[in-house]
Amino acid sequence: MNKTANFLWTAAGVLFVVFLVSPLLLVVLFAFTSRPQSAFPIEALSFRWWQAMVANPNFLPAFRNSLVISGTVGVLSAIIGTMAALGLTQLDAWRARLAAAMLCLPLMLPPLVLGVALLIFYSRTHIPMGPQTVVMSHLLFALPFVVLVVYARLRNFDFRVVESARDLGASPLRAFFTVTLPIISPTVIGAALIATALSLDDFVITFFTIGKGMTLPTFVFAMIRTTVTPAANAVGTLILMMTIGATLAALWLTRYRG
Amino acid sequence: MRDRAATYLLLAPAALVFGALFVLPLAYFLVISFWRVRLFKLQPDFTLFNYGQVFDLHLPTLVFTLSLALLVAALTTILGFAYAYLIRFKAGQWGPTLLFVALITLFGGYLMKIYSWMTILGITGVLNTALLALGLIEEPLPWLFYNVGAVVVTLINFLIPLAVLPIYASMRGITDIELEAARDLGAGGWRRFSDIVVPRSQPGIMAAFALCFLLAAGDYLTPQLVGGKVNMIGVQIAPQFGGLGNWPMGAAMSFVTLGSSLAVILAALFILAQWRPR
Repeated sequence: MNKTANFLWTAAGVLFVVFLVSPLLLVVLFAFTSRPQSAFPIEALSFRWWQAMVANPNFLPAFRNSLVISGTVGVLSAIIGTMAALGLTQLDAWRARLAAAMLCLPLMLPPLVLGVALLIFYSRTHIPMGPQTVVMSHLLFALPFVVLVVYARLRNFDFRVVESARDLGASPLRAFFTVTLPIISPTVIGAALIATALSLDDFVITFFTIGKGMTLPTFVFAMIRTTVTPAANAVGTLILMMTIGATLAALWLTRYRG
Repeated sequence: MRDRAATYLLLAPAALVFGALFVLPLAYFLVISFWRVRLFKLQPDFTLFNYGQVFDLHLPTLVFTLSLALLVAALTTILGFAYAYLIRFKAGQWGPTLLFVALITLFGGYLMKIYSWMTILGITGVLNTALLALGLIEEPLPWLFYNVGAVVVTLINFLIPLAVLPIYASMRGITDIELEAARDLGAGGWRRFSDIVVPRSQPGIMAAFALCFLLAAGDYLTPQLVGGKVNMIGVQIAPQFGGLGNWPMGAAMSFVTLGSSLAVILAALFILAQWRPR
Protein backbone atom coordinates (compact mmCIF):
# COMPACT_ATOMS: atom_id res chain seq x y z
CA MET A 1 0.00 0.00 0.00
CA ASN A 2 2.67 2.46 1.06
CA LYS A 3 4.91 1.41 -1.83
CA THR A 4 2.12 1.98 -4.35
CA ALA A 5 1.39 5.42 -2.87
CA ASN A 6 5.06 6.36 -3.04
CA PHE A 7 5.26 5.21 -6.63
CA LEU A 8 2.16 7.21 -7.57
CA TRP A 9 3.54 10.39 -5.98
CA THR A 10 6.87 9.94 -7.77
CA ALA A 11 5.08 9.39 -11.07
CA ALA A 12 2.96 12.51 -10.46
CA GLY A 13 6.08 14.56 -9.72
CA VAL A 14 7.81 13.38 -12.89
CA LEU A 15 4.69 14.05 -15.00
CA PHE A 16 4.35 17.57 -13.55
CA VAL A 17 7.97 18.42 -14.31
CA VAL A 18 7.72 17.00 -17.85
CA PHE A 19 4.49 18.96 -18.46
CA LEU A 20 6.02 22.22 -17.21
CA VAL A 21 9.47 21.93 -18.76
CA SER A 22 9.04 20.10 -22.08
CA PRO A 23 7.35 22.96 -23.99
CA LEU A 24 10.33 25.16 -23.18
CA LEU A 25 12.86 22.42 -23.99
CA LEU A 26 11.20 21.81 -27.37
CA VAL A 27 11.48 25.51 -28.26
CA VAL A 28 15.22 25.32 -27.61
CA LEU A 29 15.69 21.97 -29.36
CA PHE A 30 13.99 23.03 -32.61
CA ALA A 31 16.09 26.21 -32.72
CA PHE A 32 19.01 23.95 -33.72
CA THR A 33 17.31 21.83 -36.39
CA SER A 34 18.65 21.78 -39.94
CA ARG A 35 15.17 21.27 -41.43
CA PRO A 36 12.78 24.10 -42.34
CA GLN A 37 10.08 22.98 -39.83
CA SER A 38 9.94 23.04 -36.04
CA ALA A 39 9.18 19.31 -35.96
CA PHE A 40 10.72 15.89 -35.56
CA PRO A 41 12.76 14.24 -36.99
CA ILE A 42 15.75 16.50 -36.50
CA GLU A 43 18.20 15.31 -39.14
CA ALA A 44 21.23 17.32 -38.09
CA LEU A 45 22.05 20.07 -35.66
CA SER A 46 22.71 23.40 -37.29
CA PHE A 47 22.92 27.12 -36.66
CA ARG A 48 21.19 28.09 -39.89
CA TRP A 49 18.09 29.46 -38.10
CA TRP A 50 20.26 31.54 -35.82
CA GLN A 51 21.92 32.99 -38.92
CA ALA A 52 18.45 33.58 -40.40
CA MET A 53 17.44 35.37 -37.20
CA VAL A 54 20.45 37.68 -37.26
CA ALA A 55 20.02 38.32 -40.99
CA ASN A 56 16.46 39.56 -40.44
CA PRO A 57 16.58 43.38 -40.65
CA ASN A 58 14.09 43.68 -37.77
CA PHE A 59 16.15 41.59 -35.37
CA LEU A 60 18.81 44.05 -34.27
CA PRO A 61 16.45 46.99 -33.55
CA ALA A 62 14.13 44.63 -31.64
CA PHE A 63 17.03 43.19 -29.65
CA ARG A 64 18.32 46.66 -28.82
CA ASN A 65 14.86 47.87 -27.78
CA SER A 66 14.42 44.83 -25.54
CA LEU A 67 17.75 45.42 -23.80
CA VAL A 68 17.16 49.16 -23.33
CA ILE A 69 13.57 48.75 -22.11
CA SER A 70 14.20 45.84 -19.72
CA GLY A 71 17.40 47.38 -18.37
CA THR A 72 15.64 50.67 -17.67
CA VAL A 73 12.68 48.89 -16.07
CA GLY A 74 15.07 46.93 -13.84
CA VAL A 75 16.95 50.03 -12.65
CA LEU A 76 13.88 52.26 -12.22
CA SER A 77 11.82 49.62 -10.42
CA ALA A 78 14.78 48.85 -8.12
CA ILE A 79 15.07 52.52 -7.11
CA ILE A 80 11.34 53.29 -6.82
CA GLY A 81 10.56 49.88 -5.30
CA THR A 82 13.29 50.04 -2.64
CA MET A 83 12.17 53.55 -1.68
CA ALA A 84 8.57 52.34 -1.37
CA ALA A 85 9.61 49.27 0.66
CA LEU A 86 11.54 51.52 3.07
CA GLY A 87 8.47 53.77 3.33
CA LEU A 88 6.27 50.75 4.09
CA THR A 89 8.46 49.72 7.04
CA GLN A 90 7.66 53.07 8.64
CA LEU A 91 3.88 52.63 8.37
CA ASP A 92 1.91 50.56 10.86
CA ALA A 93 1.30 46.95 9.83
CA TRP A 94 -2.30 47.46 8.72
CA ARG A 95 -1.56 50.44 6.45
CA ALA A 96 1.55 48.78 5.05
CA ARG A 97 -0.44 45.69 4.09
CA LEU A 98 -3.15 47.81 2.47
CA ALA A 99 -0.61 49.85 0.47
CA ALA A 100 1.20 46.68 -0.67
CA ALA A 101 -2.09 45.07 -1.72
CA MET A 102 -3.02 48.18 -3.73
CA LEU A 103 0.32 48.17 -5.54
CA CYS A 104 -0.37 44.54 -6.55
CA LEU A 105 -3.73 45.37 -8.19
CA PRO A 106 -2.22 45.80 -11.70
CA LEU A 107 -1.09 42.15 -11.50
CA MET A 108 -4.69 40.99 -11.08
CA LEU A 109 -5.87 42.73 -14.25
CA PRO A 110 -5.66 40.74 -17.52
CA PRO A 111 -2.70 42.26 -19.44
CA LEU A 112 -5.01 42.83 -22.42
CA VAL A 113 -7.19 45.26 -20.44
CA LEU A 114 -4.20 47.03 -18.94
CA GLY A 115 -2.56 47.26 -22.37
CA VAL A 116 -5.54 48.78 -24.20
CA ALA A 117 -6.36 51.16 -21.32
CA LEU A 118 -2.77 52.47 -21.43
CA LEU A 119 -2.87 52.69 -25.23
CA ILE A 120 -5.94 54.94 -25.08
CA PHE A 121 -4.45 56.99 -22.24
CA TYR A 122 -1.16 57.65 -24.09
CA SER A 123 -2.95 58.32 -27.33
CA ARG A 124 -5.47 60.81 -25.82
CA THR A 125 -2.85 62.63 -23.73
CA HIS A 126 -0.57 62.84 -26.79
CA ILE A 127 2.32 61.10 -25.06
CA PRO A 128 4.39 59.83 -28.02
CA MET A 129 4.46 56.03 -27.97
CA GLY A 130 7.77 54.21 -28.15
CA PRO A 131 10.24 52.54 -25.79
CA GLN A 132 9.53 55.24 -23.18
CA THR A 133 5.83 54.38 -22.90
CA VAL A 134 6.67 50.66 -22.74
CA VAL A 135 9.03 51.34 -19.80
CA MET A 136 6.32 53.32 -17.99
CA SER A 137 3.78 50.55 -18.57
CA HIS A 138 6.15 47.77 -17.47
CA LEU A 139 6.79 49.57 -14.17
CA LEU A 140 3.19 48.78 -13.24
CA PHE A 141 3.74 45.02 -13.08
CA ALA A 142 7.47 45.09 -12.22
CA LEU A 143 7.22 47.40 -9.18
CA PRO A 144 4.97 45.16 -7.03
CA PHE A 145 7.53 42.32 -7.21
CA VAL A 146 10.41 44.59 -6.15
CA VAL A 147 8.38 46.15 -3.33
CA LEU A 148 7.20 42.78 -1.97
CA VAL A 149 10.65 41.13 -2.14
CA VAL A 150 12.57 44.07 -0.63
CA TYR A 151 9.85 44.70 1.99
CA ALA A 152 10.03 41.03 3.07
CA ARG A 153 13.80 41.42 3.45
CA LEU A 154 13.46 44.65 5.45
CA ARG A 155 10.96 43.11 7.83
CA ASN A 156 13.66 40.91 9.32
CA PHE A 157 16.28 43.59 9.07
CA ASP A 158 17.96 44.71 12.28
CA PHE A 159 17.31 48.46 12.25
CA ARG A 160 19.51 48.89 15.34
CA VAL A 161 22.56 49.02 13.04
CA VAL A 162 21.02 52.03 11.27
CA GLU A 163 20.22 53.67 14.60
CA SER A 164 23.85 53.19 15.68
CA ALA A 165 25.01 54.94 12.54
CA ARG A 166 22.55 57.78 13.20
CA ASP A 167 23.70 58.08 16.83
CA LEU A 168 27.27 58.36 15.58
CA GLY A 169 26.21 61.35 13.53
CA ALA A 170 25.44 59.94 10.09
CA SER A 171 22.69 61.73 8.17
CA PRO A 172 19.68 59.54 7.19
CA LEU A 173 20.94 59.45 3.59
CA ARG A 174 24.48 58.58 4.63
CA ALA A 175 23.19 55.87 6.99
CA PHE A 176 21.17 54.42 4.11
CA PHE A 177 24.02 54.37 1.61
CA THR A 178 26.72 53.14 4.00
CA VAL A 179 24.72 50.74 6.21
CA THR A 180 21.27 49.72 4.94
CA LEU A 181 21.97 49.46 1.21
CA PRO A 182 25.15 47.35 1.41
CA ILE A 183 23.31 44.84 3.63
CA ILE A 184 20.16 44.56 1.49
CA SER A 185 21.82 45.02 -1.92
CA PRO A 186 21.73 41.30 -2.93
CA THR A 187 17.95 41.36 -2.39
CA VAL A 188 17.55 44.64 -4.28
CA ILE A 189 19.60 43.38 -7.23
CA GLY A 190 17.72 40.07 -7.19
CA ALA A 191 14.38 41.88 -7.23
CA ALA A 192 15.58 44.13 -10.06
CA LEU A 193 16.54 41.05 -12.08
CA ILE A 194 13.04 39.61 -11.62
CA ALA A 195 11.64 42.93 -12.84
CA THR A 196 13.98 42.75 -15.85
CA ALA A 197 12.90 39.18 -16.64
CA LEU A 198 9.19 40.12 -16.47
CA SER A 199 9.82 43.08 -18.75
CA LEU A 200 11.86 41.03 -21.26
CA ASP A 201 9.11 38.42 -21.45
CA ASP A 202 6.11 40.74 -21.74
CA PHE A 203 4.30 40.61 -25.05
CA VAL A 204 0.75 41.89 -24.57
CA ILE A 205 1.35 45.27 -22.90
CA THR A 206 4.38 45.95 -25.12
CA PHE A 207 2.35 45.17 -28.24
CA PHE A 208 -0.26 47.82 -27.41
CA THR A 209 2.02 50.55 -26.05
CA ILE A 210 5.15 50.51 -28.26
CA GLY A 211 3.71 52.37 -31.23
CA LYS A 212 5.81 51.50 -34.28
CA GLY A 213 8.90 49.73 -32.90
CA MET A 214 9.46 46.13 -31.87
CA THR A 215 10.91 44.17 -28.96
CA LEU A 216 12.00 40.52 -29.13
CA PRO A 217 8.57 39.16 -28.10
CA THR A 218 6.65 41.32 -30.61
CA PHE A 219 9.27 40.39 -33.24
CA VAL A 220 8.75 36.67 -32.60
CA PHE A 221 4.97 37.19 -32.67
CA ALA A 222 5.22 38.72 -36.15
CA MET A 223 7.24 35.66 -37.22
CA ILE A 224 4.67 33.23 -35.80
CA ARG A 225 1.82 35.05 -37.53
CA THR A 226 3.37 34.81 -41.00
CA THR A 227 5.54 31.88 -42.09
CA VAL A 228 6.58 29.78 -39.14
CA THR A 229 10.20 28.69 -39.42
CA PRO A 230 12.61 27.55 -36.69
CA ALA A 231 13.99 31.11 -36.76
CA ALA A 232 11.11 31.86 -34.35
CA ASN A 233 12.57 29.16 -32.09
CA ALA A 234 15.96 30.86 -32.22
CA VAL A 235 14.44 34.19 -31.08
CA GLY A 236 12.39 32.35 -28.45
CA THR A 237 15.51 30.59 -27.18
CA LEU A 238 17.27 33.93 -26.92
CA ILE A 239 14.37 35.36 -24.87
CA LEU A 240 14.26 32.26 -22.65
CA MET A 241 18.01 32.33 -22.06
CA MET A 242 17.80 35.94 -20.90
CA THR A 243 14.67 35.59 -18.71
CA ILE A 244 15.72 32.28 -17.15
CA GLY A 245 19.28 33.54 -16.70
CA ALA A 246 17.97 36.65 -14.89
CA THR A 247 15.60 34.51 -12.76
CA LEU A 248 18.40 32.09 -11.81
CA ALA A 249 20.67 34.96 -10.78
CA ALA A 250 17.78 36.54 -8.85
CA LEU A 251 17.00 33.31 -6.97
CA TRP A 252 20.65 32.87 -6.08
CA LEU A 253 20.98 36.47 -4.90
CA THR A 254 17.78 36.67 -2.86
CA ARG A 255 18.42 33.38 -1.09
CA TYR A 256 21.95 34.49 -0.47
CA ARG A 257 21.78 36.08 3.03
CA GLY A 258 18.01 35.59 3.07
CA MET B 1 13.14 57.51 12.55
CA ARG B 2 9.39 57.83 12.24
CA ASP B 3 9.46 60.99 10.24
CA ARG B 4 6.12 61.45 8.46
CA ALA B 5 7.41 63.64 5.67
CA ALA B 6 10.26 61.25 4.91
CA THR B 7 7.84 58.30 4.80
CA TYR B 8 5.59 60.01 2.28
CA LEU B 9 8.58 61.14 0.23
CA LEU B 10 9.77 57.53 0.02
CA LEU B 11 6.34 56.30 -1.06
CA ALA B 12 5.69 59.18 -3.47
CA PRO B 13 7.32 57.79 -6.67
CA ALA B 14 5.52 54.44 -6.37
CA ALA B 15 2.27 56.26 -5.61
CA LEU B 16 2.82 58.44 -8.68
CA VAL B 17 3.32 55.40 -10.93
CA PHE B 18 0.24 53.73 -9.45
CA GLY B 19 -1.92 56.86 -9.69
CA ALA B 20 -0.81 58.23 -13.05
CA LEU B 21 -0.40 54.94 -14.93
CA PHE B 22 -3.03 52.71 -13.33
CA VAL B 23 -5.84 54.63 -11.62
CA LEU B 24 -6.00 57.46 -14.15
CA PRO B 25 -5.92 55.36 -17.36
CA LEU B 26 -8.46 52.90 -15.93
CA ALA B 27 -10.78 55.73 -14.83
CA TYR B 28 -10.52 57.28 -18.30
CA PHE B 29 -11.13 53.85 -19.85
CA LEU B 30 -14.31 53.58 -17.78
CA VAL B 31 -15.44 57.07 -18.83
CA ILE B 32 -14.85 56.24 -22.50
CA SER B 33 -17.02 53.13 -22.24
CA PHE B 34 -20.02 55.54 -21.97
CA TRP B 35 -19.00 57.52 -25.06
CA ARG B 36 -19.97 56.98 -28.69
CA VAL B 37 -18.12 56.89 -31.97
CA ARG B 38 -19.74 59.02 -34.67
CA LEU B 39 -18.21 59.42 -38.12
CA PHE B 40 -15.02 57.70 -36.91
CA LYS B 41 -14.56 60.27 -34.14
CA LEU B 42 -14.89 59.86 -30.39
CA GLN B 43 -17.87 61.80 -29.04
CA PRO B 44 -18.21 62.45 -25.31
CA ASP B 45 -21.59 61.17 -24.20
CA PHE B 46 -23.25 59.35 -21.35
CA THR B 47 -24.93 56.36 -22.85
CA LEU B 48 -25.33 52.71 -21.96
CA PHE B 49 -25.56 51.92 -25.67
CA ASN B 50 -22.19 50.12 -25.74
CA TYR B 51 -23.09 47.97 -22.75
CA GLY B 52 -26.37 47.04 -24.44
CA GLN B 53 -24.44 46.12 -27.57
CA VAL B 54 -22.07 43.89 -25.58
CA PHE B 55 -25.01 41.84 -24.34
CA ASP B 56 -26.76 41.83 -27.74
CA LEU B 57 -23.71 40.88 -29.81
CA HIS B 58 -21.28 39.09 -27.50
CA LEU B 59 -23.33 37.35 -24.81
CA PRO B 60 -22.65 33.79 -26.11
CA THR B 61 -18.92 34.54 -26.41
CA LEU B 62 -18.90 36.00 -22.89
CA VAL B 63 -20.71 33.01 -21.37
CA PHE B 64 -18.38 30.63 -23.21
CA THR B 65 -15.31 32.57 -22.03
CA LEU B 66 -16.46 32.58 -18.40
CA SER B 67 -17.25 28.83 -18.51
CA LEU B 68 -13.88 28.06 -20.04
CA ALA B 69 -12.10 30.28 -17.50
CA LEU B 70 -14.00 28.54 -14.68
CA LEU B 71 -12.93 25.11 -15.97
CA VAL B 72 -9.31 26.21 -16.45
CA ALA B 73 -9.12 27.96 -13.07
CA ALA B 74 -10.64 24.95 -11.27
CA LEU B 75 -8.32 22.43 -12.96
CA THR B 76 -5.25 24.64 -12.52
CA THR B 77 -6.02 25.23 -8.83
CA ILE B 78 -6.48 21.47 -8.22
CA LEU B 79 -3.26 20.62 -10.09
CA GLY B 80 -1.41 23.50 -8.40
CA PHE B 81 -2.65 22.25 -5.02
CA ALA B 82 -1.45 18.72 -5.81
CA TYR B 83 1.94 20.05 -6.89
CA ALA B 84 2.29 22.23 -3.76
CA TYR B 85 1.20 19.26 -1.59
CA LEU B 86 3.82 17.13 -3.29
CA ILE B 87 6.53 19.72 -2.58
CA ARG B 88 5.51 20.28 1.05
CA PHE B 89 4.63 16.78 2.22
CA LYS B 90 5.66 14.06 -0.21
CA ALA B 91 8.78 14.98 -2.18
CA GLY B 92 11.24 15.07 0.74
CA GLN B 93 14.68 16.02 -0.54
CA TRP B 94 13.25 16.60 -4.04
CA GLY B 95 10.91 19.34 -2.74
CA PRO B 96 13.30 22.24 -3.43
CA THR B 97 13.91 20.94 -6.98
CA LEU B 98 10.17 20.84 -7.72
CA LEU B 99 9.74 24.34 -6.27
CA PHE B 100 12.67 25.49 -8.39
CA VAL B 101 10.99 24.15 -11.55
CA ALA B 102 7.82 26.12 -10.71
CA LEU B 103 9.83 29.31 -10.12
CA ILE B 104 11.89 28.95 -13.29
CA THR B 105 8.80 28.42 -15.46
CA LEU B 106 6.97 31.32 -13.76
CA PHE B 107 8.78 34.37 -15.09
CA GLY B 108 9.64 33.40 -18.63
CA GLY B 109 8.18 32.30 -21.88
CA TYR B 110 4.47 33.27 -22.00
CA LEU B 111 4.51 33.63 -25.79
CA MET B 112 7.01 30.79 -26.29
CA LYS B 113 4.88 28.33 -24.31
CA ILE B 114 1.87 29.04 -26.55
CA TYR B 115 4.08 28.75 -29.63
CA SER B 116 5.52 25.49 -28.35
CA TRP B 117 2.05 23.98 -27.99
CA MET B 118 1.50 24.84 -31.67
CA THR B 119 4.51 22.66 -32.52
CA ILE B 120 3.41 19.92 -30.09
CA LEU B 121 -0.25 19.56 -31.10
CA GLY B 122 -0.16 20.51 -34.80
CA ILE B 123 -0.74 18.06 -37.64
CA THR B 124 3.04 17.53 -38.12
CA GLY B 125 3.57 18.18 -34.42
CA VAL B 126 5.59 16.31 -31.85
CA LEU B 127 2.65 14.33 -30.51
CA ASN B 128 1.44 13.11 -33.90
CA THR B 129 4.99 12.27 -35.00
CA ALA B 130 5.57 10.28 -31.81
CA LEU B 131 2.30 8.37 -32.09
CA LEU B 132 3.00 7.57 -35.78
CA ALA B 133 6.53 6.43 -34.99
CA LEU B 134 5.23 4.17 -32.22
CA GLY B 135 2.72 2.70 -34.67
CA LEU B 136 -0.20 3.62 -32.40
CA ILE B 137 -1.94 5.54 -35.18
CA GLU B 138 -1.92 5.23 -38.97
CA GLU B 139 -2.72 8.83 -39.85
CA PRO B 140 -1.94 12.06 -37.97
CA LEU B 141 -4.79 13.08 -35.68
CA PRO B 142 -6.14 16.45 -36.85
CA TRP B 143 -8.36 16.93 -33.80
CA LEU B 144 -5.47 17.56 -31.37
CA PHE B 145 -5.20 21.13 -32.55
CA TYR B 146 -7.37 24.18 -33.18
CA ASN B 147 -9.97 23.31 -30.59
CA VAL B 148 -11.07 23.97 -27.01
CA GLY B 149 -8.92 21.14 -25.64
CA ALA B 150 -5.74 22.72 -27.01
CA VAL B 151 -6.72 26.07 -25.45
CA VAL B 152 -7.39 24.46 -22.05
CA VAL B 153 -4.10 22.51 -22.03
CA THR B 154 -2.07 25.56 -23.06
CA LEU B 155 -3.70 27.85 -20.48
CA ILE B 156 -3.21 25.29 -17.69
CA ASN B 157 0.42 24.86 -18.76
CA PHE B 158 1.36 28.49 -18.29
CA LEU B 159 -0.93 29.15 -15.30
CA ILE B 160 0.20 26.22 -13.07
CA PRO B 161 3.28 28.00 -11.62
CA LEU B 162 1.03 30.95 -10.70
CA ALA B 163 -1.24 28.56 -8.77
CA VAL B 164 1.55 26.54 -7.13
CA LEU B 165 3.36 29.45 -5.51
CA PRO B 166 0.55 31.08 -3.44
CA ILE B 167 -0.76 27.65 -2.35
CA TYR B 168 2.73 26.49 -1.38
CA ALA B 169 3.27 29.77 0.50
CA SER B 170 0.26 29.07 2.73
CA MET B 171 1.11 25.36 3.09
CA ARG B 172 4.55 26.28 4.36
CA GLY B 173 2.86 27.71 7.45
CA ILE B 174 1.53 24.26 8.42
CA THR B 175 3.96 22.77 10.93
CA ASP B 176 4.71 19.08 11.39
CA ILE B 177 3.94 19.60 15.10
CA GLU B 178 0.25 20.34 14.56
CA LEU B 179 -0.13 17.40 12.17
CA GLU B 180 1.53 15.07 14.70
CA ALA B 181 -0.62 16.48 17.49
CA ALA B 182 -3.72 15.74 15.41
CA ARG B 183 -2.45 12.22 14.74
CA ASP B 184 -1.77 11.65 18.45
CA LEU B 185 -5.33 12.75 19.18
CA GLY B 186 -6.54 10.03 16.82
CA ALA B 187 -7.16 11.95 13.58
CA GLY B 188 -6.75 9.74 10.49
CA GLY B 189 -5.11 10.73 7.23
CA TRP B 190 -8.25 12.15 5.63
CA ARG B 191 -9.24 14.02 8.81
CA ARG B 192 -5.80 15.67 9.02
CA PHE B 193 -6.03 16.58 5.34
CA SER B 194 -9.54 18.01 5.43
CA ASP B 195 -9.34 19.68 8.87
CA ILE B 196 -5.79 21.04 8.79
CA VAL B 197 -4.13 20.99 5.36
CA VAL B 198 -7.03 22.33 3.26
CA PRO B 199 -8.30 25.04 5.65
CA ARG B 200 -4.77 26.30 6.28
CA SER B 201 -4.10 26.43 2.51
CA GLN B 202 -7.32 28.32 1.78
CA PRO B 203 -5.84 31.85 1.39
CA GLY B 204 -3.41 30.47 -1.19
CA ILE B 205 -6.09 28.41 -2.93
CA MET B 206 -8.35 31.46 -3.22
CA ALA B 207 -5.57 33.72 -4.53
CA ALA B 208 -4.55 31.05 -7.06
CA PHE B 209 -8.13 30.55 -8.27
CA ALA B 210 -8.83 34.29 -8.65
CA LEU B 211 -5.58 34.96 -10.50
CA CYS B 212 -5.96 31.98 -12.86
CA PHE B 213 -9.59 32.87 -13.60
CA LEU B 214 -8.85 36.50 -14.47
CA LEU B 215 -5.83 35.66 -16.62
CA ALA B 216 -7.69 32.88 -18.45
CA ALA B 217 -10.79 35.02 -19.04
CA GLY B 218 -8.69 37.91 -20.38
CA ASP B 219 -6.33 35.91 -22.58
CA TYR B 220 -6.60 36.44 -26.31
CA LEU B 221 -3.39 34.97 -27.73
CA THR B 222 -4.02 31.37 -26.72
CA PRO B 223 -7.37 31.04 -28.54
CA GLN B 224 -5.94 32.95 -31.50
CA LEU B 225 -2.82 30.78 -31.87
CA VAL B 226 -3.91 27.27 -30.79
CA GLY B 227 -7.72 27.60 -30.71
CA GLY B 228 -8.57 27.97 -34.40
CA LYS B 229 -12.25 28.93 -34.37
CA VAL B 230 -12.45 29.00 -30.55
CA ASN B 231 -13.89 32.43 -29.84
CA MET B 232 -13.08 34.06 -26.52
CA ILE B 233 -14.04 37.58 -25.50
CA GLY B 234 -10.41 38.78 -25.60
CA VAL B 235 -10.25 37.86 -29.30
CA GLN B 236 -13.19 40.26 -29.80
CA ILE B 237 -11.77 43.01 -27.57
CA ALA B 238 -8.28 43.30 -29.10
CA PRO B 239 -9.35 44.32 -32.65
CA GLN B 240 -11.51 47.15 -31.20
CA PHE B 241 -8.23 48.95 -30.59
CA GLY B 242 -6.76 48.38 -34.04
CA GLY B 243 -7.33 50.36 -37.23
CA LEU B 244 -11.10 50.06 -37.66
CA GLY B 245 -11.86 49.62 -34.00
CA ASN B 246 -14.44 51.18 -31.75
CA TRP B 247 -12.78 52.20 -28.48
CA PRO B 248 -15.96 52.80 -26.42
CA MET B 249 -17.22 49.38 -27.50
CA GLY B 250 -13.91 47.72 -26.57
CA ALA B 251 -13.90 49.51 -23.22
CA ALA B 252 -17.46 48.41 -22.42
CA MET B 253 -16.55 44.82 -23.40
CA SER B 254 -13.53 44.97 -21.08
CA PHE B 255 -15.57 46.19 -18.11
CA VAL B 256 -18.36 43.67 -18.68
CA THR B 257 -15.73 40.91 -18.78
CA LEU B 258 -14.04 42.19 -15.60
CA GLY B 259 -17.34 42.65 -13.76
CA SER B 260 -18.76 39.26 -14.66
CA SER B 261 -15.41 37.60 -13.89
CA LEU B 262 -15.40 39.19 -10.44
CA ALA B 263 -18.97 37.95 -9.85
CA VAL B 264 -18.02 34.36 -10.79
CA ILE B 265 -14.85 34.55 -8.67
CA LEU B 266 -16.71 35.86 -5.61
CA ALA B 267 -19.30 33.09 -5.95
CA ALA B 268 -16.53 30.47 -6.27
CA LEU B 269 -14.64 31.88 -3.28
CA PHE B 270 -17.85 31.82 -1.23
CA ILE B 271 -18.28 28.13 -2.07
CA LEU B 272 -14.61 27.43 -1.27
CA ALA B 273 -14.99 29.18 2.10
CA GLN B 274 -17.63 26.60 3.09
CA TRP B 275 -14.83 24.05 3.55
CA ARG B 276 -14.17 24.50 7.25
CA PRO B 277 -12.80 22.16 9.91
CA ARG B 278 -15.61 20.21 11.57
